[in-house]
Amino acid sequence: MAENNAEGASQTAASYDLIPKLLPHLDRHMIFPLLGFMGEQGKLTDQELTQARYDLLKNSNMTDFICDLYKEIHGTDEIPEELNKKQEVLDKLHNLGERSEPVLDLLSDQEVLSNLRADKLQNFQYLQDKHAVTVEMVNVLYDYGQHQYSCGNYVEASDMLYRFRVLSTDNEKTTQATWGKLACDILSANWEGSMEEITKVKDLIEQKLYNNPLGQLQARTWLVHWTLFPFFNYTNYADSKEFKDPKDPKEPKEPKDVLLELFFSPAFINTIQTSCPWILRYLAAAVITNRNRKNNSGQYQKQLKDLVRIVKQELYEYHDPITDFVTALYIDFDFEEAQRKLSEAEEVLKSDFFLASSAASFVDSARHLISESYCKIHQRIDIKDLAQRLNLTQDEGEKWIVNLIRDTRVDAKIDYKDGTVIMNHPPQSVYQQVIEKTKGGLFRTQVLTAAVSK
Amino acid sequence: MSRFFHGGLSDSDTSSSDEELYSEEEEEEEASADESGSEDESDEADADDDDAGLKFLSRGGGGDDSSDEEEGKRIVKSAKDKRLEEIESCIKLIENGEKINDWVVISVEFDKLNKLILKSPEIPKVYIKAVADLEDFMNETLKDKATAKKMNATNARALNTIKQRVKRNNRSYEPQIEAYRKDKEGFMVEEREEAVPTPRAPRAEDSGLSLEDDDEGFSLVGRGGRTMVYTPESIFKHLRVIIEARGRKNTDKAEQIKVMEKLYEVAHTPYQRIKVLLALISTRFDLTTGALSYMATDQWKSAETEFNTLLEVLEANPDYVVVETAEEWDDDEKPPQPAPSEILKIPGSIVSFVDRLDDELTRSLQHIDPHTTEYIDRLSDEGALYTTILRNQLYLERLQRNQNIPTDESLNRVIMRRLEHLYFKPEQVIVTVEENAWKLIPAQLDSVISPRTTATTDATNLLHTLATYLYKHDATVVRTRAMLCHIYHYALHNQFYKARDMLLMSHLQENIHVADVSTQILYNRTLVQVGLCAFRAGLIYEAQTSLQEICGTGRLKELLAQGVQIQRYSQVTPEQERLERQRQLPFHQHINLELLECAYLTCSMLLEIPALAASGSSPDMKKRVISKTFRRMLEYHERQIFTGPPENTRDHVMQSAKALAAGEWKRSSELIHAIKIWDLLPEPQKIKEMLSEKIQEEGLRTYLFTYAPFYDTLSLERLVEMFDLSERKVSALVSKMIAHEEIAAALDQVNNAIIFRKGVELSRLQTLALTLSDKASGLMEQNERVLEQKTQGQGGFEGGQQRGGGGGRGGRGGQRGDHSGGRGGRGGHKGPRTQKNVQFNQQSGFHGGAMKT
Repeated sequence: MAENNAEGASQTAASYDLIPKLLPHLDRHMIFPLLGFMGEQGKLTDQELTQARYDLLKNSNMTDFICDLYKEIHGTDEIPEELNKKQEVLDKLHNLGERSEPVLDLLSDQEVLSNLRADKLQNFQYLQDKHAVTVEMVNVLYDYGQHQYSCGNYVEASDMLYRFRVLSTDNEKTTQATWGKLACDILSANWEGSMEEITKVKDLIEQKLYNNPLGQLQARTWLVHWTLFPFFNYTNYADSKEFKDPKDPKEPKEPKDVLLELFFSPAFINTIQTSCPWILRYLAAAVITNRNRKNNSGQYQKQLKDLVRIVKQELYEYHDPITDFVTALYIDFDFEEAQRKLSEAEEVLKSDFFLASSAASFVDSARHLISESYCKIHQRIDIKDLAQRLNLTQDEGEKWIVNLIRDTRVDAKIDYKDGTVIMNHPPQSVYQQVIEKTKGGLFRTQVLTAAVSK
Repeated sequence: MSRFFHGGLSDSDTSSSDEELYSEEEEEEEASADESGSEDESDEADADDDDAGLKFLSRGGGGDDSSDEEEGKRIVKSAKDKRLEEIESCIKLIENGEKINDWVVISVEFDKLNKLILKSPEIPKVYIKAVADLEDFMNETLKDKATAKKMNATNARALNTIKQRVKRNNRSYEPQIEAYRKDKEGFMVEEREEAVPTPRAPRAEDSGLSLEDDDEGFSLVGRGGRTMVYTPESIFKHLRVIIEARGRKNTDKAEQIKVMEKLYEVAHTPYQRIKVLLALISTRFDLTTGALSYMATDQWKSAETEFNTLLEVLEANPDYVVVETAEEWDDDEKPPQPAPSEILKIPGSIVSFVDRLDDELTRSLQHIDPHTTEYIDRLSDEGALYTTILRNQLYLERLQRNQNIPTDESLNRVIMRRLEHLYFKPEQVIVTVEENAWKLIPAQLDSVISPRTTATTDATNLLHTLATYLYKHDATVVRTRAMLCHIYHYALHNQFYKARDMLLMSHLQENIHVADVSTQILYNRTLVQVGLCAFRAGLIYEAQTSLQEICGTGRLKELLAQGVQIQRYSQVTPEQERLERQRQLPFHQHINLELLECAYLTCSMLLEIPALAASGSSPDMKKRVISKTFRRMLEYHERQIFTGPPENTRDHVMQSAKALAAGEWKRSSELIHAIKIWDLLPEPQKIKEMLSEKIQEEGLRTYLFTYAPFYDTLSLERLVEMFDLSERKVSALVSKMIAHEEIAAALDQVNNAIIFRKGVELSRLQTLALTLSDKASGLMEQNERVLEQKTQGQGGFEGGQQRGGGGGRGGRGGQRGDHSGGRGGRGGHKGPRTQKNVQFNQQSGFHGGAMKT
């Protein structure tokens, strides 16, 4: 199907392109990889790409790169005066570096470190008394970090900001530094660090902007967008570096779960619904691809349920092939439609910066979901028909079914002669139901009694 | 507006007039009975004796003697003598009071005396004597400090009052008192002989305002000769007199208006004209008093014209501004001359005039029968009024812009008025109204807030602009109202999601019950309009939930202020009823109640019938009532022994519901189509199609619920045939039911059939066991929640923060007027909720009043 109208599919993919929507919520530096991706996809010509990159970075301090871009665009070796600030930038860098020297030295001093406590004020007092550290000196660290970031030295910037945060007592700047560090970690692909920072930023949003709901909303929106980077890259990163096989079950403690939890927390789900419903695509994709792991099917079911609810709510405001797939499968129970949407969704995923790598696993999981709910509803299924539905040949289909039966442990048998599968749905026994419902009763009551008597 | 509604109203009208007729007849009968009774009585009396006749006439005289006596007196004494006698007795009492130094008695009697004197055509000499003596005595008493000190508090106070009164009083009779003092004896003797025509002029001047005499009025007209005196110079003097007389009793306002109209003719400086107009307009408003009457149309119109003239004058003379805070100019002789480039502020409030004009128009519309041409004539004045409002807005804007005079609050009020004139109108009407208004306004005037060019083209945009302005500049109830108007407009124009999101964002449902009544009414109207909008869009569930709150109560009329409900056991005091009548909306703003009921019942039917079928016979399911009103009506309908062909809307829906329950979707759909009121909706054909489709779907569901026990297998094709739906639709519906475990069945793909599982029907004991276990776990959850709430004070930091954040976020949404922000806690309000969601709602205090499930 996809081959038949590849033209049409790429058009749909283009019409569901989210990058323009994402851009306003991302940092200048983070847009850079997105542009590269657009270039790869052939959405931008080289000329456009260079121009876009140039426009993007014009105000940053990556002078060499900008100059190169400028040359490329204009085809000259001449560089206008305002761009030629390399020396200036280097001077400043040097200057800041020198000024931050004493504090940095201090921080590497073992004795000083051993005297530092959890209380920042006390620390600062200590440093002030013993080593004559002033507020200005600490702030130099911040400026240095910012400058480094602007120049594209993300790792150094991250380090600098970390140190600044340790020392500074200025709440405003600490917040800024935390955001900055998150950006640095993301850009330097330090996913573990960025996970930590995300939690910190989240806490900051909840506490600091408590009285400024609009600011809170805005900050949450930013965080949601920034989070997409680690969200979809962390595992891939792990895959490429340590485990070549994506099916390897020995994945590290899944960061996706952490992030899904974050996204599904009431505050953030509201943010998504309110200001950036397009994030639902990523949420849907994440939930569906998350299926592969079998250890927490209960949680998976719950997430799926939440997802369906939210997608349904936002149907009038946002929909794309991915959410449409969810709608068709779980709200309308229209399997043909779901199948069609799936192939569309595949195209869209392939041309999405964040999701391109998980397109295959999405399709795989989505197929599982289709056949799962199909089996749940049907008693007798024609294998040929099912295979057709799943875009598979008959033999593949049979294998698929067998796998499915094995994986999901449904009670089903294949009637080879008729070429059908017969599902057996034993009705849940009433006794079982009653037992289920009252199982936790005693325990819960005991807990309650204990709590009351306290 | 509506034929049906019309019919309904006139029905009640005739019935009530019938009643009146009846009661009149009754009264007449009673009266005649009375008459005959009294006749009988008098006959009897005549028969008794002749004196009785007299007795009867004199009514209540004790015996024959007394009546004779009375009659005798009446004949002998003239009114004048009688009065004289009374005066004398008063004087006597005063003298007595003087003797014992009792000033309280003196004071009382002195008042009585003065009253009597006012009534008498002439001043008796005795009176002059008495007052003169009293004054002397009073002066003596005052001189004598010792006695003054001895007096008790009340007495001293009485003395003080009398001192002032006597002085004032005696000034008018000075000549006579002088005469009396000169020659005490001679004065009194003289009096006996000739009835001196007392000089009345001074007295008249003194008490001219408090007099009720006819001749006094006459003298005023007599002074009408002064019309000739109206000159530009004397304008302020006249105005002052009129303004001072304002609010007193017995001022002849019509006369004042005439005077002022003449004054306006002679006024030539802008200052004079502004002053005269200000006074004139307020006097016109004073003409009508009382809550139940309304301003006469001609008065209203002239007030409106004058107000426009005032605005014109103000527009032409930017040196003069009218503001509430200006100082009163006291010097009548020379009007203030503004220095060039200086702005002269004149005290007054332009906005209140607009408010008043608007209110008076509304009031008259409330009172005029909406089915007469008079109403339509009156309604046509709304256009003129709208122009005036708009012009006033322009004026205020200009003030703020050019003269830096803060008119924020006034401007908000005017814009709110404008919004309230627009919000209930459809788009095309708004555009026309705007066009007409702008046509009448001089071309050089334009608004910054709502520029001429955009206002006349895009109604939604205009409303958005106005409402957003109010969100930004006002934080009071005006903002709430603006928000509701805005939502109403969206709902009216089929933008359901926008309207609903705004309604939920505004979080109005949480505190609307503390708002004032008219805002609550507006809220109800908005809610209902949102419901109708959902209905038109085919969102049955949403429509039902938002109509439920208003339509389910049975107090529809009262809640929407579209007529006073007659309650059977009403405890309404006349005061409350009067207030309620004042709140009524004019007819042209009404939402058609019958249409509302029809939509509500249809929605309820589509939800209730499948639910009823699904619950079958199990006892606990029966309790989940979606619409109580609908169930009650259905039960009532089912109890009827004979059901005739449907007559009204309700009958149609009920019979349709019955047909739907029996699986006859075609009949059900026909019955719904036969309801004529759908024609009032835009594109009725589409609505009907939508309804048929819904009926087909719900019919299929109902059929499956009802007849599942009787089938073993059921082919999908058969269902397709029966319900005239596409096969895909049928299989989707059936799949959905299976997936949600609404029916115990599975699909057979090979044979394309539904296979019903056997042995799933539960015995009664099993059902009860299930119910019991449900209840037990419910109880447990309840307990846990209670405990959680109790302990929240100590450990619930997380939750508390959550709540604040969510609430705050949502609270601000409407204020910004755009949709990118602040839809906090919205999730919980939409669609079917999961258990968890409900919990979240309870925790975070969002009570989904609008979309309550």
